[in-house]
Amino acid sequence: MVTFILKRIGSGLVVLAAISCLTFFLLYFSSTNIARNILGEYATPEQVAAKQAELGLDQPIFSRFLAWVAEALTGNFGTSWFTNESVVQAISNRLPVTLALVVTSIVIIAILSTLIGVAAAVKRGWIDRAVQIAAVIGDAIPNFVLAIVFVTIFAIQLGFFPATSSIQPGADGGAWVASLTLPVIALVISGLTSGAQQVRSAVIKQLEKDYVRTLRSRGISEGVILFKHVLRSAAPAGLTVLSLQFIGMLGGVVIIEQIFALPGMGALAVQSTTLGDTPLVMGVVLYTVIIVILVNLLVDLANGWLNPKVRVS
Amino acid sequence: MKFGPRATSVAILAAAAVALSGCASSSGGSSSGAATDTLTIGSLSNITSFDPAQAHLGHQMPLYQAAYDTLILRKPDGSFAPMLATEWKYNEDNTVLTVDLRDDVTFTDGEKFDAEAAKANLDHFKSANGPDAAQGGSISSVDVVDEDTIDITLSAADPAMEYYLSQVPGLMGSPKALGTEEVKTVPVGSGPYVLDAKASVNGSQFVYTANKDYWNKDLQKFSKVTIKILADVTARTNAVVSGQVDAVLLDAKNGKQAEGAGLEQVSYPVDWNGLFLFDRDGKNTPALADVRVRQAINYAFDRETMLEQLSLGHGEVTAQIFGKTTDAYIPELDDAYAYDPAKAKSLLAEAGYADGFELTLPILPGTEAIMAMVQQQMADVGITVKQEAVPQANYVTDLQAAKYSAAWFSVFQGEPWVAIKQAIGPQAAYNPFKTTTPELQEAIDAVQFGGDESGELAKKVNQYVTDEAWFAPWYRIDQMFYVDGTKIAVEPQAQQAIPSIYNYAPAS
Repeated sequence: MVTFILKRIGSGLVVLAAISCLTFFLLYFSSTNIARNILGEYATPEQVAAKQAELGLDQPIFSRFLAWVAEALTGNFGTSWFTNESVVQAISNRLPVTLALVVTSIVIIAILSTLIGVAAAVKRGWIDRAVQIAAVIGDAIPNFVLAIVFVTIFAIQLGFFPATSSIQPGADGGAWVASLTLPVIALVISGLTSGAQQVRSAVIKQLEKDYVRTLRSRGISEGVILFKHVLRSAAPAGLTVLSLQFIGMLGGVVIIEQIFALPGMGALAVQSTTLGDTPLVMGVVLYTVIIVILVNLLVDLANGWLNPKVRVS
Repeated sequence: MKFGPRATSVAILAAAAVALSGCASSSGGSSSGAATDTLTIGSLSNITSFDPAQAHLGHQMPLYQAAYDTLILRKPDGSFAPMLATEWKYNEDNTVLTVDLRDDVTFTDGEKFDAEAAKANLDHFKSANGPDAAQGGSISSVDVVDEDTIDITLSAADPAMEYYLSQVPGLMGSPKALGTEEVKTVPVGSGPYVLDAKASVNGSQFVYTANKDYWNKDLQKFSKVTIKILADVTARTNAVVSGQVDAVLLDAKNGKQAEGAGLEQVSYPVDWNGLFLFDRDGKNTPALADVRVRQAINYAFDRETMLEQLSLGHGEVTAQIFGKTTDAYIPELDDAYAYDPAKAKSLLAEAGYADGFELTLPILPGTEAIMAMVQQQMADVGITVKQEAVPQANYVTDLQAAKYSAAWFSVFQGEPWVAIKQAIGPQAAYNPFKTTTPELQEAIDAVQFGGDESGELAKKVNQYVTDEAWFAPWYRIDQMFYVDGTKIAVEPQAQQAIPSIYNYAPAS
């Protein structure tokens, strides 16, 4: 087990290094006129040249990259070119919001899609049909459309929730709950339908297996068969979908965060990428990759724990 | 243990109702209540740095005005009034501006504001290479005359210096803080408010509380000011409609929703919209060298219809680039090129382009509807417009690098000298082909050295560039600013995209 974890961490570090390298070089080629964009339209060419020298943009790409790596290895990710805020500070301000949004959504999706998926697989009939139809509808309606509808109805018309986030430093739990409820519901609805569908298929597949018939023939109760045996075997499929949804959501919350003006990572990622704010983009990418690697590791471990058959030797 | 469809739906509805009612109590409180001494503004722009020299005019100004005073105060109507400077006077040839300063002001870190502090700020502004550094370009030196007087020596007369000292170059920070790392994230000024750094998140919101020792209580009307950064127009609309912010800038389309919600509209023109016809010497597009061709382009636009369709009629059609709030404005020029496609065609024929010509225009993302209309109207008189998509980050650079002979733009209508330096003079940012003529240069010189008359003298420049069709302006577009009139009263700020921080007051 320890070897497995160490191996995964090792490969994670390789991925991290590769992605940092790739991002840095992609940014170099895709973002032009950074100094001009920082200084605005009325800056003279001399001003722009001075700014470029100040930011080191006049240096060759390799020495810039090496300088960044050297600093990053000491934990110094620099400051944003466009806001002068330290990268670590900017991310630590925003990461909690995005994680709260995504983790809450995933936990709710996990619980509900298991319940609904199992119910659909076991009961079949109307529940099953409803799940099937909902899956299609849920996939067809993007979560940002739901978000806009929710804001209009529940925030603007009815005034139950704030239309834009009221999360701020030192905000109490109430502000967090109020600000995150609508975005979480929007994310849950679109994630839930496909999650439930996956659980349903996996459970049906397991129910058709021989071992279930054997267990039944030995007089073991349906509840024990379902929760102790079938669900365990079906779990890997569900977990994989959830981990994919989690990773997808990290990128997908961008629009949701814009709509609710949530001070999360999404807006930061979009702004910094559009502007070519290299230090900030690098910071955002590194943090995101680390989260993705951790989530994948956790899912593998959970799979092994749930189902010894997939446990790694 | 079987649930039918009805029981299940009842359970779901009940659960939803419980969840909703639970949250309603924790969120609804903040937006109600009439009298207020707090102000919450939604802002499009974030700051780059709180270093006063890194500020940028327009959308960012209130963020800095809250924390920093300027030497000169620009009143809502555009006139100038004392602030940290009590008096200012030019020498005979307008090259030395002597500025008397207040002697009773201290910065929030306890440092005293005096002539040394003012000099330190202006010197810092000149060396800090901020976005608006060009505004200090004519300042050659700043000298301390006595404890509360400075002389600002100019390399040549600069009719906009008064204006500049009311903008970014005039922002005064504590000399001890200038150039430090800390001032980039926490401002240290003498302004009406102090940033509450703990309650602020860069890029999300900035919270200010009243500066207890502020010297001018008339400009300090709130105990707390919050500026939320809401780059997305939908988020801004939702925020103001639901009462989370008191005032925001919207656009014509979203403005309808705000009006429906009973918000007060404060609209005033700031930008002109239209085409720059850059290549007036015909270097890349020979046709544009002929004034008749440039005039034909002007006659080709049905400005009324464009304004109606593109901005729902919120604005005023015009054919001049100088704004109504400036002395250079000539009312008759608004109709200088009334829509006349037949005349456009005959002018093109006279110039030898009866079969038209091809013009490549860059398209900025988001302006597709505008460009479609431009293409259509130009095609109607025989000019073929070729569109070339340009990423936002490259647009201005490409224009300034003379890559395009003409381009669409929305430009703010500043003081005459500001507008001349922006789009007309041979060194202007938006004169990439550096076109000029002796006649025009003479008119520009008259403005520069005209002293108090310079605004009036700029009428000649205006007449010249309009007659010569240097541009094809369509209309002055209204800034669609919305406030909750039950809580806040606000005055528009002449020539500024959004009102200054001093223009807000609690509704009486």
